[in-house]
Amino acid sequence: MRSFKLNPLTVKKINRFKSIKRGYYSFIIFSLSLFFAMFAEFFVNSKAILVKYEGNYHFPTYSDVISGETFGLDYKYETNYRELNKQFESEESDNFVIMPVFPYNPLENDLQEGIYPPTAPNMDNQHFLGTDTTGRDILARLVYGYRIAIVFSLGLLLINYVIGITIGCLMGFYGGWFDIIVQRIIEIWSNIPFLYVVIIVSSIVVPSLGVLMGIMAFFGWMGMTWYMRTKTYKEKEREYVLAARALGAKDRKIIFSHIIPNSISLIVTFIPFSIAGGMTSLTSLDYLGFGLLPPTPSWGELLSQGTSRLDAPWIGISVVFAMILILTMITFIGEAIREAFDPKKHTTYQ
Amino acid sequence: MNLRFTFLALILIFSFSCNKETKKVEKVSQADDSSSELYQISKTPLPSNLNWESNLTDPIYSSPNAVKGGSYNSFIDSFPLTLRVVGPDSNGGFAGVIRALQLSPTDYHPNTRKPIPILATEWAHSKDLTTIYYKLNKKAKWSDGKPLRVDDFIFALEMYKSKHIVAPWYNEYYTKNFAKIIKYDEHTMAVVGKNPKSSEDLHYYYGLGAFPKHFYNLSKNFVKDYNWKIPPTLAPYQIDVVKKGKYLTLKRVKNWWGENERFFKNRFNVDKIKYTVIRDQNVAFEHFKKGELESFGLTLPDFWHNKAKGKIFDSGYVHKLWFYTKSPQPEMGMWMNLDREIFKDINTRKGFSHAMNVDKVLKTVLRNDYERQHNAATGYGKYSNESIKARKFDLKKAGSYLKKAGWEKRGADGIRVKNGKRFSVKVLYGAKHHNDRLVVLKEEAKKAGIELELKLMDGSTAFKAMQEKQHDVAHSGWGAMWKPQYWGQYHSANASKPQTNNFSNTNDKELDKYIDGYRLEFDSKKKAKLSRQIQQRIHDLSVVVPTYLIPYFRQAYWRWIRLPKDIATEVSDSATDPLGLTTGGLFWVDKKLKSETKEAMKNKVRFKPETIIEKKYKTKS
Repeated sequence: MRSFKLNPLTVKKINRFKSIKRGYYSFIIFSLSLFFAMFAEFFVNSKAILVKYEGNYHFPTYSDVISGETFGLDYKYETNYRELNKQFESEESDNFVIMPVFPYNPLENDLQEGIYPPTAPNMDNQHFLGTDTTGRDILARLVYGYRIAIVFSLGLLLINYVIGITIGCLMGFYGGWFDIIVQRIIEIWSNIPFLYVVIIVSSIVVPSLGVLMGIMAFFGWMGMTWYMRTKTYKEKEREYVLAARALGAKDRKIIFSHIIPNSISLIVTFIPFSIAGGMTSLTSLDYLGFGLLPPTPSWGELLSQGTSRLDAPWIGISVVFAMILILTMITFIGEAIREAFDPKKHTTYQ
Repeated sequence: MNLRFTFLALILIFSFSCNKETKKVEKVSQADDSSSELYQISKTPLPSNLNWESNLTDPIYSSPNAVKGGSYNSFIDSFPLTLRVVGPDSNGGFAGVIRALQLSPTDYHPNTRKPIPILATEWAHSKDLTTIYYKLNKKAKWSDGKPLRVDDFIFALEMYKSKHIVAPWYNEYYTKNFAKIIKYDEHTMAVVGKNPKSSEDLHYYYGLGAFPKHFYNLSKNFVKDYNWKIPPTLAPYQIDVVKKGKYLTLKRVKNWWGENERFFKNRFNVDKIKYTVIRDQNVAFEHFKKGELESFGLTLPDFWHNKAKGKIFDSGYVHKLWFYTKSPQPEMGMWMNLDREIFKDINTRKGFSHAMNVDKVLKTVLRNDYERQHNAATGYGKYSNESIKARKFDLKKAGSYLKKAGWEKRGADGIRVKNGKRFSVKVLYGAKHHNDRLVVLKEEAKKAGIELELKLMDGSTAFKAMQEKQHDVAHSGWGAMWKPQYWGQYHSANASKPQTNNFSNTNDKELDKYIDGYRLEFDSKKKAKLSRQIQQRIHDLSVVVPTYLIPYFRQAYWRWIRLPKDIATEVSDSATDPLGLTTGGLFWVDKKLKSETKEAMKNKVRFKPETIIEKKYKTKS
């Protein structure tokens, strides 16, 4: 068996990427944030990680709902683990609860009579970034909102790139009438006012993550076609394509096995910016109220709360800061990738 | 009678339902050959058996201390597109002011709700309850000095029915409901309607406003010709300066004819009213804080709790008022769709009602500002059934009702299941600012093992979807009306059909019987009893979870604005409305206090801050 070995050029690119420090560290932090977001239930949740009750261990995080009766409480609905924790602590028995670091989920309203939300950040009740207008923990909403936004933009990226790259390559590869007609179609297509369509669609169907992704992809795939078309025009005249053709390779083989792999540097450099773009567009749609349905945690919804409640600055500041942080990191990563893949560093033109 | 115009659309829906009676009356009027389509000059004298009323006994609600003079500054968020009362663009935000200048023969006393004289001095009704007779006030004069005559009412009817006003809704409404006007002499007339109404309702439905016949020329250029012409008025105020796009002023009519009439005395005190265009509410509030506007509405919780703070309030220059009223309230609630399998069982509906924690919403996100609604029609006096109490959030009761309905087991996610189906229902709603309330209900309902799936749609789309019964639960509301109406929302004739307002698809024989009786009953005591029975039956059937009420208005005003002892009436929507014929014009401007306040602000002298919370008209709950 052949051992897995990286192409020396790739190794060079990776080393180059690593040498650009701010991009590299951003990449590490960003990857960590992705990891935390994907397993957010362990860190930000109202469900306990572990409960020991009368000798039995319970792991509520991913399990079925455990009713209050299981722990000797007088209700059938889901256990309130924060209260259970307090109760066990005061009882001084063997029973204990291990709560996540941030003990709130993004949907629950922590409301007390006489205290009207939003409430300011408070260490005692563990709302580290305060609560929003319905008393939900802002930190929890930020984390889960981030997860949704990132899943959304990755999904959108995949759809956009598959369609965009395929069509762009075909345009560049076949040229002629096909190219001219598709170009005109894209020009017309890109003149459809995107926002109006979203408004109309979201007034007819209830927007879910899939529907929103569909709408965005409907208007988003065009961007990539232009780059791929130009790239393919250039690549298909190169010797390796000629060689492949001489060996009898079919068009499909040439496009997918030769041209696209050789355009990878172009595609890769666009990815971070597309992710940032996807996140901002979901956020702005949510901000305008055409995005995901409440009570889905979302940055846009927080942003809109923040702008209308300037007297509760912690809402706006939290989400703006989070956005700046994530988008700056992605931009740094993008820059570093662009640097690393810059053909001028690895080849010389003749 | 602003209320009438506000809810005209809804009334129309219900007026369709009176077709059966309409036919009979039409035949009678067609038989009378000497009449034109619109009016008839009577050759016979007035019927002698009429019981004339004049109501000069109901209490006066203005203040004897009121002083005339001064000016009142208010704002509008956009300049009116026309000064016409009817026709294209006449239904904008300024329509309230224009319509307040339009007087009818009678109106209702804001505290006793009995008819009081406006343009008429006496009135009577026919036995068949289709006709109302008026003797007009001979003192009544248009602001250009011409006397008011019956012809001005005939002209009004002619105008409302005319194609030239380009207002199909008015055309249809007046054609459908008004048979004609009979003129006995220049100051005596009878308005004949097409459907019988109860003796008090006659004033509401057939009391049309007068239009100056000598001023208008009803031609096909009507809409264009009268866009910016200022008509003479019978009201205490007349439009004065019109600075398009900027401001508009009204001045008090000199030697107004009504000055000494019983219910107009000591009212309409300011000399000048100015409406300046300020497009943004927050900007307008800044103008108010500078003293450029006399008063500002604070009903929105954000304004009352968060924005109305600071120096001018703490130093007592500006007073705050929270005034509970008894006006009819919109019916707000969550209607369960009885055509859905899940809500067919009454126990499920009761259990569902007990699982909606409306009180928590009120106490937390609504800051105790709103109140719980208990019945299907609140604020209608004896028409409201005060003994009904809405089902409270109670997990035990919810649990036992749901158990009866077979929803005992809970699934892995804590939501109840029955035969493999989860208790998950879609709640459809059409207002983004209701998010805050619904997410609380959703989280609380989980405790009862019920999942609410929130479905927010654009307002008009949501309404359409509800009319087509696409919802499991409709979180919505109906505007307040003159009298409670049930047929559209609860009669089986509108159940399980698209394009009707019976959101719950209620189909109940007993309820139908009451509603049919209610619609045909003209005796107000019996009608009120039926109304209460209907509300009880709606409650017993548990087809709707009543939600919130806002039975008050809140405002801030500068301390030189003086109010009568009672502050406002039972049905006021502001204490500083300068124009409303029955509820407005009660305040006056104290010039001395004004200069004293301005002086004090310069010298930083403070007064005692004042916040009045007046609950005397609050309905006990």
